[in-house]
Formats: sequence, structure tokens, C-alpha cells
Amino acid sequence: MRKLKLFKPTLLLILAGILIFPMLADLAAQDKDDNYGKTPTEMLPYGNYQDAYIYHFHEPQLFTGAGREKLPPTDLTEVRIGLLAPLEGNVLAPQGNHMLHGATLAMEEANARGGYMGLPFVIMPHNDVGLWGAAANEVVKMNDEKVWAFIGTIDDVNSHVALRVALKLELPMINTSDPDPTFTETGIPWMIRCMSDDRQSSYALVDYIHIEQGYNRVAVLRANNRYGRVGVMEFRDAALRVGHPLVLEIRYNDGDTDFKAQLERVRNSNPDVVLLWGNALEMGLILNQMREMGMEYPVFASDRAVSPVFLETAGENANGIVATCQYNPDADIPELKAFQKNYKDRFGMEPDVFAAHAYDGMNLTMDAIHRAGLNRALIRDLLTDLKTYQGYQGITGEIIFDASWNDIGLVWMAEVQDGTFSFSQSSWEWK
Amino acid sequence: MKKTLLLLSLWIILPAFLLASDPDKKSDIMPEYGNWKTFTTKNGLPANKVYCVRVDGDRVWVGTSHGLALYENGDWRTYTVEDGLAHPGVLSIDVSELTGDVWIGTLGGLNRYSGGQFETFTQFNSGLANDVIYSVICDGKDVWAATGGGAGHYDTYRNEWAIYMERNAPMHEPWTYGVCAGDNKVFIAAWGGGVIEYQNETGQFRDYIDPDGEMEIDLFPDDGVVHDITTGVSHANGILWVATYFGLSRYDGTQWKGYFDHDSGLTSNFINFLKADGDVVWLCTDEGLSSFNSKRWITYKKTDQGGSRIYYNKGDTSSKTASTGIAHNFVIGVDFQDDDIWVATSYGLSHGTRIN
Repeated sequence: MRKLKLFKPTLLLILAGILIFPMLADLAAQDKDDNYGKTPTEMLPYGNYQDAYIYHFHEPQLFTGAGREKLPPTDLTEVRIGLLAPLEGNVLAPQGNHMLHGATLAMEEANARGGYMGLPFVIMPHNDVGLWGAAANEVVKMNDEKVWAFIGTIDDVNSHVALRVALKLELPMINTSDPDPTFTETGIPWMIRCMSDDRQSSYALVDYIHIEQGYNRVAVLRANNRYGRVGVMEFRDAALRVGHPLVLEIRYNDGDTDFKAQLERVRNSNPDVVLLWGNALEMGLILNQMREMGMEYPVFASDRAVSPVFLETAGENANGIVATCQYNPDADIPELKAFQKNYKDRFGMEPDVFAAHAYDGMNLTMDAIHRAGLNRALIRDLLTDLKTYQGYQGITGEIIFDASWNDIGLVWMAEVQDGTFSFSQSSWEWK
Repeated sequence: MKKTLLLLSLWIILPAFLLASDPDKKSDIMPEYGNWKTFTTKNGLPANKVYCVRVDGDRVWVGTSHGLALYENGDWRTYTVEDGLAHPGVLSIDVSELTGDVWIGTLGGLNRYSGGQFETFTQFNSGLANDVIYSVICDGKDVWAATGGGAGHYDTYRNEWAIYMERNAPMHEPWTYGVCAGDNKVFIAAWGGGVIEYQNETGQFRDYIDPDGEMEIDLFPDDGVVHDITTGVSHANGILWVATYFGLSRYDGTQWKGYFDHDSGLTSNFINFLKADGDVVWLCTDEGLSSFNSKRWITYKKTDQGGSRIYYNKGDTSSKTASTGIAHNFVIGVDFQDDDIWVATSYGLSHGTRIN
């Protein structure tokens, strides 16, 4: 009896601990809606095991330097905005030229409305050749040309290189086309990105493949470059955290045409489905070789598959392929319809995702210049205040910025049906 | 007698050993600076935006957004593109102890200023990977330059260049933004790749990265460099200091320790530049200049009244105000001249003198 008396408080304490600890742990965990990058709680890094010491990107990094006091020049004849994109000599040149066209169209429309206080906006295009950090030199040239901001670029490596110079030069950088999540995870308060990144695309794919479609075993064949590495990293981590480790991740080089060795390894890994992550041409070629080898796995692909190059290369094999896309060209947005018509009239081709986002990015930039005036720091302040452009309605839809100025707006699933892409909203968005 | 000698030796050696091994007992005295004077374009600087400052004996070299300035005998002289400067934007400066040559990293190439002449190195006439030189250092006969296209190593005796990047060093990408030397090693701040260590004797590399492998968190503060996005490195007295935009890391060759604005005297996690001077590291942040001797912190800030010094020691904070302060709280560079300090900021260059 005495023993029981002694044990009673101890037992009560243990029982209370068992009951209260999970409640406390739950209180310590961040609210699902507040997770960085709209990360589902079950996909938080180490979230099942350990709270992190620090969670970054929940508060915007302020720019506290000087510059707001600078008066606008009085002798300008034009207002220059730079554009850094692969325009020639690069496998991404078609996409880069779509960027240039989209930005140009936005600028021409603004100039038709009177430009900036009667001064015309002028685009200063720079070719992103992507060699030896050349993007850095190009941004310096833009600075010497006295641009007020610049748009760019597509390639992950070059965007990072350009961003670091943008910080030194204190030059606003508006990225409309690089889905590398780490671009905005640098903490540099001189950039925004108005296009969803590969984190969002990966969550959408993980949800679609594993949860909606119920597949378990995914083999990944990816480009041996930063786009492939970082994009797949997000998919791999998210899939692993919901209980589906990749059965294989294998690489190929840009420009390769024979993928049989890799595909044999894919076959040997006995996957349920195959995920491709690379440029359109190689993904189309891989798909063709898979089918030639009798590999009839369902195939999923990264955003760059949503391209005429992919459809032309893969032909009928493209049917049934599902990729992600950062906008819906079929959306019922009157401004989008007008953009598509004007773009075709002006450039003789259909706009792609790069054109659409560049159009939005250029319009954002010019609007910020209109509101802030000709002062880079003040333009930056507006672009990053998470108020002025929060919920901005572009032709690509609503732009929602998180605290790292990354667009965490909608991601779309693009399925090839009868040789064309059909778009639907990713189901994970409304969970 | 022998016993007495032995005890006496132990009495001398043991405290010295303990002091050397315990950072908490080392360098209790923190240098303090005051009597700040600010230089701007009104005083002769070519621009108010000052990227870097480098002391060279009695001379002070200053890199600005619109030229290289030299302060000597109380006067300013400006060097521009017309004089041979590769680009008006001067990001980094170092002086060779061997030759006295001044090496200048600009936004458009690397200059060597020697015998009154500028020589220009670019990616088209040298082994430089890229023309935007974020950091340049002299390490004996060797010159190292950090660029976004890789780290360049120039052997001035052999007139030979080498480039280190993701293809021949343990980096994911070739983005390098800071470099320093110490203990016969060179340390490179690799953007997204932590710190790369190069051993001069063997030519071997190793890397130090954030073990958690995630950009959006730091899982444990003392398990390695606090973030893989590193912005600068400095080495002194056997300690490697690493700057990031997410906090500070200290590495003594065995253990890492992380410092953040919420758990230490570091005034901001956004560190533009750092420099270790003996046991004290100086952190140039976007919210002031912090100094730290592995135990105590002092932060210098500009205030409406002049300036302030904020003291932090084991969670206790106190401050002193002064009639003068640093030119601007967005601090970009720092260097030392005997008992004087020079501070590069977003709006002017500051000069202070030691007050303790």
C-alpha cells in the first residue's frame, strides 16, 4: 500500500507527460499554412524527427543600405530595363527568345500608353551564353548602360551568378523563368521571382504520382546539370518524406542521343513509373527509345517538356505524358487571350510559358518604376514589400510571393492528349 | 628542488595550456574604437558607396563604386579607368607583403598596381575565370581571386594561372565569393558549397558544408558551417571564421560553432564581409559592425545622436552612446592600421581610433 502511494505521483507524472508532450510538440511545430514554400508538414526536412534550430525565409530580408536618397537624373531620354536571356548559341535560345518577345510586347504596350512620364521604355537585351560566369559580366554591362532593373535568366547557374552581381550593384532583378528553388533561398533582397519553382512542381508531381495515382516505385532519368540535379533533389526529398524513396536516379548529358545504357538500368530497377527531368529534346528522345525498347511505363516529366520541341520529337509517344507547367495557357483570363493574340500578331508564333512570365515580369517592373520613380532602391522596396504586388493578377494568373519573394502560386499539370497539352490544376493545391 | 621546479613548470604551463584551449578564457580584452570621422565625396572620396578598404602601412586604399581612392598624408587621390583601372567599381584590394604591389579586384577585371603602373588581367588575357572579382588576396608569391566562374590562382613567380571550379575541386558550382589564407592553406567561400580548403603543400582540396543539406533550415547550429551560402572567410590564430547571410561560423580545426543574431551579440545574420584580426573577428553586417573575441561581443552602430557601442556577454546586453559613430549601418568592409580602424559602408568611409 505504501509502495502504491509512492508510485502514484510518479505514475501520474508519467501519464501527464505522455498526454501533454505530444500537445507541446504540436504547439512547437509550425502551422501548416506557415511552412516555408507551402511545404506540407509531412514533407518538412527532418520534420518527423527533429525541430530545426532555425527556420529561414519566414521573414523577408530587408535592405538597409543607402541609395533611397538619390535623386532621379534629369537628362534622360529613355528609361532602360535590361534583359538577360539565352538568345543565341545556347540550347535554351528558343525559350530565351520567347522571353525577349514577351518582355518586348509588354514594353511596347506601355510605350503606346505614354511610357514613363513621356519617356519611352527601352529594353537592353544581353545574351546569356552561360560560359565562365559570363552572366556576371553581362549584368555589369547593364549597370554601365544605366538600366533601372533587369529581367532574367533561365539557366539556374547563370541566374545565381547574375544575382550576386545584382546585390553588389544594387540592381533589382526580376526572375521570370528559372525554377531553381535555391535562387530565392540566397537571402538577397534585390530579387523577386514571378514564376513557381521546382519545389512547387515537385510537390505537385509527388502528390500526383504517389497519392493521386497510387504509384510506389519511381525511377528518375535526369539531365546531368544543375536544372536536373536541383529539380530532382526537391522531388526526391518530398517523395522520400511521404514514404516513397526513388528506386533509381540516373543521369545523362545534354546533347546525348543514345540513352539505351541508362534505360537498361531503369528497366532493371523495376519501376512503376519513370520521371524525366531535363530539356525538351532529350526528354523526347528518351521517350522514343523507351518505347522502342518495349518499356511501356507511365512517364512523367519536368516543366521543360511543355514545349513544341518535345511534342515534335516524341510524336505519338508523347500522348499520355504528364508534366508540370507554371501557367495555364487555356485559362479564362481576358488579358491572357489578348496577349496570345497580340503575341502571335507581333511575332508570328504562339507564346510559351517563358514569354507569358516575361510579359508579367516586365509589366511588374514598369509598374514599380511608375510608382517608385527612377531610384533603384525605391523600385526594389516596392517590388519586395509583399503588399504592392501581393496577389498581382498577371496573364499567368495570381502571383503570390512568400517571404523569400518566391512565387508560390499555382502549378498546373499538363497532360499530352492527341498531340497537344491539356492543362489542369494540380490537386495538391487545395488540400 | 626537482619537485619544486616541476611544480613551478606546471604552474606556468597548465594555465597557459588551459587558456590556449578554452576560447572562453582567451582574449578577454576587446579592443574598442571611437572618435569616428566620416569621409564622403565632400572630403575627396570618388563615391559614397565604399566597397572595401585596405591598409598599406601609412596609406589607405579604398574601393568605391566610382574608382579607387588612396589616402596618404591627409590627402585623397583617385584612380579611374583613365589611369588604367580595369573598371570603376572596386570590390576588393590586397597588398603583397613580398613586393608591395597592390592587387585590385574590380567589376571588370583584376589590376596589379606596381611602380605607379596598372596592369590589367581579364578572362581574355589571363587565367581568370571571370572579370567580376569579388575578393583578391596575396599569399606569399601567390595571388588568389574569387569570381563567379571559379577561383583563380596566379603564381607570380612562374606567371602561371590555375582555375578551380566544380570540375577540379569539390564544389557543386564554380561560384566563389571570398578567399583567405592561413596555416599554409587557402580557404574559399563557395556560394552554395560552403567552404573549400586548399592545401598549399599537397594541392589537395576538402570541403566543409552544412551537414543538414537543407537551405531553409539549420538543423543544429554547431554541426558545421551554418549555411552553404557562404559570403566570406577569414583565418587568424588557428581559427577559421565563415560569413553567411544566415549567421556566423567559427571553426577551430576540430569543432564548429554557429552564432546568430538571436543567440549571441551578432547584430545581424546578414554578413557582407568579415575580417579576423588576431583573436577578434569583425563582422560587417547590414545592421552595423560587430566584433567578437570568442567570448564577448561589441557592436558599433550609427544612431541619430552619433553612434553607439552595444556590449554582449553571455546574454547580458548593455550599451554606451557617443557623439560620433560609423558612417552607415550597412557595413561592407573593415581594416586596421595600428590602433586605428577603417570601415567601408554603404554611405561613406569611417575612421576610428582605439579608446581602451
